[in-house]
Amino acid sequence: MIELEGIEKTYAAGSVETRVLKDVSFRIEAGEFVAIMGASGTGKSTLMNVLGCLDKPTAGHYRLEGTDMVDLDDDALSHLRNHRIGFVFQQFHLLDRATALRNVMLPLIYADQYPDDAKERGEKALAAVGLSDRMTYRPNQLSGGQQQRVAIARALITDPAILLADEPTGNLDSTSGAEVLAIFQRLHRDGRTIILVTHDKAIAEHANRIIVLKDGTVAEDRPVAQPRDAAAEVEVLSAKEAGQ
Amino acid sequence: MRLARISKEGARALSAHKLRTFFMMAGTIIGIAALTVIMAAGKGTEKKVMKRVNAFGTHAIMVTAGGGKGFSPPQEGITTLRLEDAEDIRTQIGGVDVVAPFAIQRGMSVKAGSNQVQTVVMAVTPEWHDAWEWYAADGEPITAEDTAAMSRVCLLGTLIAKDLFGGQNPIGEYIQIGNVRFEVKGILQERGVSPMGDEFDRRLVIPLTTGLRRLFNQDHITNIRVKVRDSREIESIAEGIGQLLHERHHITPPKEDDFAIFSAADIAKMARGISGTLTYLLGALAGLSLLVGGVVLMNILLISVSERVKEIGLRRALGATRRDIFTQFLTESLAVTVSGMILGSVLGWAASIVLAQVTQFPVVLSWEPFALALAFALVVGVFFGVQPARRAARLKPVEALR
Repeated sequence: MIELEGIEKTYAAGSVETRVLKDVSFRIEAGEFVAIMGASGTGKSTLMNVLGCLDKPTAGHYRLEGTDMVDLDDDALSHLRNHRIGFVFQQFHLLDRATALRNVMLPLIYADQYPDDAKERGEKALAAVGLSDRMTYRPNQLSGGQQQRVAIARALITDPAILLADEPTGNLDSTSGAEVLAIFQRLHRDGRTIILVTHDKAIAEHANRIIVLKDGTVAEDRPVAQPRDAAAEVEVLSAKEAGQ
Repeated sequence: MRLARISKEGARALSAHKLRTFFMMAGTIIGIAALTVIMAAGKGTEKKVMKRVNAFGTHAIMVTAGGGKGFSPPQEGITTLRLEDAEDIRTQIGGVDVVAPFAIQRGMSVKAGSNQVQTVVMAVTPEWHDAWEWYAADGEPITAEDTAAMSRVCLLGTLIAKDLFGGQNPIGEYIQIGNVRFEVKGILQERGVSPMGDEFDRRLVIPLTTGLRRLFNQDHITNIRVKVRDSREIESIAEGIGQLLHERHHITPPKEDDFAIFSAADIAKMARGISGTLTYLLGALAGLSLLVGGVVLMNILLISVSERVKEIGLRRALGATRRDIFTQFLTESLAVTVSGMILGSVLGWAASIVLAQVTQFPVVLSWEPFALALAFALVVGVFFGVQPARRAARLKPVEALR
């Protein structure tokens, strides 16, 4: 499904070359929930950009469902991002002046064929993240957790092959963070392929497999025997809040 | 379809930032409004000019006794314009259709019964009718027999006929001009207002010979009216007549002319007057506004691109191609200029109507300014929108999202 082979990424700043990724190779199968972990400066964000087809590697191959993105031009990469990749960002990146529903429907604007049922699909996606009653709200009328759930609904509306989340809980309190992770775990149970990029081990342990980056290479690649249960954490945290 | 969706995104961004959008529009609004006023005023002026020229005669050249600038009545006491001058013009100048010498006298006292008026009397030859294209509406024109016999006959303008005879038919009746009795043999066609602003229809005409010998007691004439065959040759013919008269009257600089020549072209120049200057001024204002407005538009768009780097990055991540981003920003630019054009046109129309009522400035509203304004709006929108749109489209998604 996802196959990275000898991925390298070098940034040139003047005469100084910085190798951020050195020979990264791994495979991710359909339906996996993988956390990519690493401290800042380990090439985590760069790898995330490559995985999201936002940036091309300097060397190596990245095959997504058999297509090597290295061979694709900018338009084809845009197209690939539109219909095969769903992004969830740390800062949510919602359009301030648009309603939740319009934010969710945004990727469809760039689809080859605008679906007739775009609105229904948007409503369904929002319902799936528990925001049926917030469809006409603007981002500033929503809590951080709700905003991130809108972003997840937006990522899912094109039914992508992979869901790529970059520190999705980074700007959230622990309860909202756990809620977001619970949604990811539910999506994973439904068969969605999810890649979660984080620096936080506690967050990473919600996935079924952890790839640890260090100095631009894969330092560790291990399964998680007993992933933490986000839904259970939500309950505990909510109970604690109620008790206060 | 995709284009429509992307364009809608651009329009949404504009309606979300109304004040900013208004500033982007301001230059276009003022420029287009000025343009609309110019064109309305220009058309109005042309209409006025055409009216004046038509009243004068589109194929007409007028030689007037006495020098002086501007189109004016003949100077009294100038006796150098003679019938022989007219004869030489007729025989020596090419392209001339009709030459009609005449003598004009202002402030003549005219009586019919108990009614008396002061008016302009024109003593004319039969050619006068053709030269002026001014014929008898009723009764008979001035004929060669009239001039040969020095007949005491006259034709009245419609207004003077009413002044003297009320509603009655004056043909066959008698009037007294000065001390001489004339029989009314016809009524002239309605002619309207002269280029100098007096009523043609209060004038009356008598045979040239009768006028010179029996009434004015002079042997010089005051005017020669020339009708040319081709109005395009009018200026060169007028020049030729000038040279001929200089020779005949032995005038060399620095001696001043004892005659003046006006053609339909001179009348048009006079009627346009300052409106030409005004048009240039407003034109400069319109051009400047559109230019400054375009630069302001471009700068605000550039600022908006830098403000919206994250939005652009997001759209790219969600699958927008470079072209999609370019289209969105160009749409924003075009939407601004086209909306500005519509507002500017409305403003310009309103201003034209007010101008027409307050200053009596002639104004004609038409569709042309709309078409021109739309063309300008599109040109300005594209010209000043391309640069910001390209900058937006060139942003790398990775850097934009950071």
